[in-house]
Amino acid sequence: MGAAAAASTPWHQLRQAGAGWTLSLRGRWCLSELAALDAALPVPSIPRAAIVTLDGHELTALDSAGAMLLVRRLWQAGVAWSDVRFTGLQPRQTELLQLVEQRFEEVVLQGRPRPSLLARLGRRAADLMSEVYSRLRFLGHAAASLAHALHRPRNFRLRETFVQLEHVGLRALPIIVLMNFLIGVVVAYLTGIQIQKFGANIFIVDGASLGIFRELAPMLVAVLVAGRSGSAFTAQIGTMKVADEIAAIITLGLSAFQVLVLPRLIAIILVMPLLTFVGGLAGIYGAMLVADIQLDIGHIAFLERMQDVLQLKTVVIGLAKAPVFGAAIGLIACHNGLRVSRDARSVGLATTATVVQSIVAVIIIDAFFAVVLSELGI
Amino acid sequence: MTGAEPVIEAQAIRTRLGGVWVHDGVSFQVGRGELVALIGGSGTGKTVLLNELIGLMRPTAGTARLFGIDVWQADQERLNHLRQRFGVLFQDGALFSSLTVAQNVAAPLKEHTRLPEHLILQLVDLRMALAGLPLAALDKKPAELSGGMRKRAALARALALEPEILFLDEPTSGLDPIAARAFDQAVRTLCDSLGITVFMNTHDLDTLWGIVDRVIVLSGGHVIADGPVAEVARVDEPWIRSYFAAHVPHRGG
Repeated sequence: MGAAAAASTPWHQLRQAGAGWTLSLRGRWCLSELAALDAALPVPSIPRAAIVTLDGHELTALDSAGAMLLVRRLWQAGVAWSDVRFTGLQPRQTELLQLVEQRFEEVVLQGRPRPSLLARLGRRAADLMSEVYSRLRFLGHAAASLAHALHRPRNFRLRETFVQLEHVGLRALPIIVLMNFLIGVVVAYLTGIQIQKFGANIFIVDGASLGIFRELAPMLVAVLVAGRSGSAFTAQIGTMKVADEIAAIITLGLSAFQVLVLPRLIAIILVMPLLTFVGGLAGIYGAMLVADIQLDIGHIAFLERMQDVLQLKTVVIGLAKAPVFGAAIGLIACHNGLRVSRDARSVGLATTATVVQSIVAVIIIDAFFAVVLSELGI
Repeated sequence: MTGAEPVIEAQAIRTRLGGVWVHDGVSFQVGRGELVALIGGSGTGKTVLLNELIGLMRPTAGTARLFGIDVWQADQERLNHLRQRFGVLFQDGALFSSLTVAQNVAAPLKEHTRLPEHLILQLVDLRMALAGLPLAALDKKPAELSGGMRKRAALARALALEPEILFLDEPTSGLDPIAARAFDQAVRTLCDSLGITVFMNTHDLDTLWGIVDRVIVLSGGHVIADGPVAEVARVDEPWIRSYFAAHVPHRGG
C-alpha cells in the first residue's frame, strides 16, 4: 500500500507505512504552544493493535506539557503504549515520554475525585454543627476553669490578668474618652437643633443624659473594645496556635484556659463597666459644651437639671450591660483564637470574624436587654 | 558533566548582613542539566545566597547571573520574564494557604499562559503525578497536608511552567527518611528526563550521596570545595571532615 499521508498539521503527520503507522512530530511541542497544539491536533485515527512509530526527526523541542498532549492523544485513539516505537527521538525525549506515560496512567487510573453537591452540602451542615458544638464546649470549658480558679486561687494568673487589665482598660482610655466625647457633642447638637424650634432648650439634658448613659456609652464602648481588644485577643492566641505555643503550654502541664483565656476574660469583664462609666462622663461633657454654646445652658444649670432627671437606675442599667457585652466579646475572641488552624491566613480570617461576630452579639444582647427591661417595666 | 554554557553563575558575591560579611567572594558556576547541592553549616548564608540568585535579595557586591543575564542589572520586565524560566521550592513550601493544592499548582499557569481550562486541569494532574502527589490531595488546603505532601505540592507548583532551573531550599528537611529518599528520586527523575538544572541547599548527606552530581561547600564566606561528592568527601578540611563523618558513628555497630 506504500506510505500514504492520512492526516497532517504543522505539528504532525500521520501516515501508514507497511503494516504499521508512523506519527511524525514537527516543530515545538511545548507549553507555550500547547493551546494551539491542542486545538489543531485531532485524535489520530489509527486502527487498534497497530504498531505506531513516533518519528522525532522534525521535532524541535519537547517538554512535559507537549509529551502529555501526545500521550493523551494516543490514549484517546486507543493506542496501547506497548505498541509504540520510537525513531529519531533523543534518548532524553524518549525517557520523558516514558515518564509522562507512566504518570499519566496513574492519573487515569486514580480518576479525579470531585465532591458532589450533596457531599458539599453535607459537609457544610457538619461544619455548622461542629461550630455550634465547639462554641458550647468552649463556654463549658471556660466556666469550668473559672470554677477551678475560684476553688484554687493559687492557680489563678494574677500577673497576666493585670497585664490584660492594662492593655484592655488603661490603654483604651484615650480613644474611649475621645470617641464618647465626640458622640456626645454630635447627639447634643442634633437634638439641640430640634429642641430649639420648640423653645424647650432645657430638655437637652433629659435627652442627652438618658441616651448617653443608657444606650450610647455602653454600645460605643463595646464596639470600640470589640475592634481593639477582641481582635487583639484572637490575633495573639491565634498566632500562638500557629507557632505551636498553645501545644507547648499544654505539654508544660499548664492549661491554655488558665494561662490565656481566663485572664483575658476576667480583664475584659472587669474593665467594660469602668470604661463605660468614663465614656458616659466624656459624652455628657461633650453635651454640656454644646448646651452651653448652642442653647445657652450653663454647666451649673445642666448639672442641676441632670441631677433631677437622670435616675440612678438608668446609669446602673447602662453599667450592668457592659460586663455582659465584655463577656460576649471575650468569649468570642478567645474561642476564635483557639480555633485558628495551622496556617497564617486563618489568623486574619479569625480576627475579622471576631470583630464582626462580637459587634453583632453586642447589638443582639442590647436588644434583648431593651425588650426584657421594658417587659419588666424597669 | 558541566555543560557548555553555565545557566547559573555567581561571581565574587559579597554580602554584608548585620555587620558581618556572610559571603566574602563566592564564585561558582552550574551547567545545564546539572544537579548541584550547596552545603555548609547553619548560618553560612546558604539561603541568603539562594535568595540572591533568584533576585529576592541584593548582594552587597558581585554578580549573580541566570542564563547569562545579570539578575541585579535586569529591569523589572526582564526579571519577570526570567522568573518564568525557573521554579523555586521554599523551605516550608510557601503554598498559598487560601487556595487548594490544585489551585496552587494552577496559579502560575493561569497567570502566565492563556491555556483553556481543560488543559490547565490536565497539566495540574500531570504536575501532581510528576511530583508524586496522590490526586486525592487536589482539593485539600495546604494546612490539611502532611509536611512531605506540602513539599511535593510545592514541587508541583514550581514545575508548573516547565522551568529550566529548579531552586530547592532544603527540600528534604522535616521529612522522614523514606519520604526524603522518594523526594530525592522524584527530583533526580525530573532532572534526567525533563533536563532541568537543579540547584539545592541541603544538609542531607543521603541526598548528597544518592542523587547529586556536584557539591559546593560554603564555609567562612568562601567556596572551600567544589566537585563530585566522592572527591569533596576526601578534602582535608576540618569542617568538611566533620560534616562527612557526622553520620558514621553508629551506636552498637
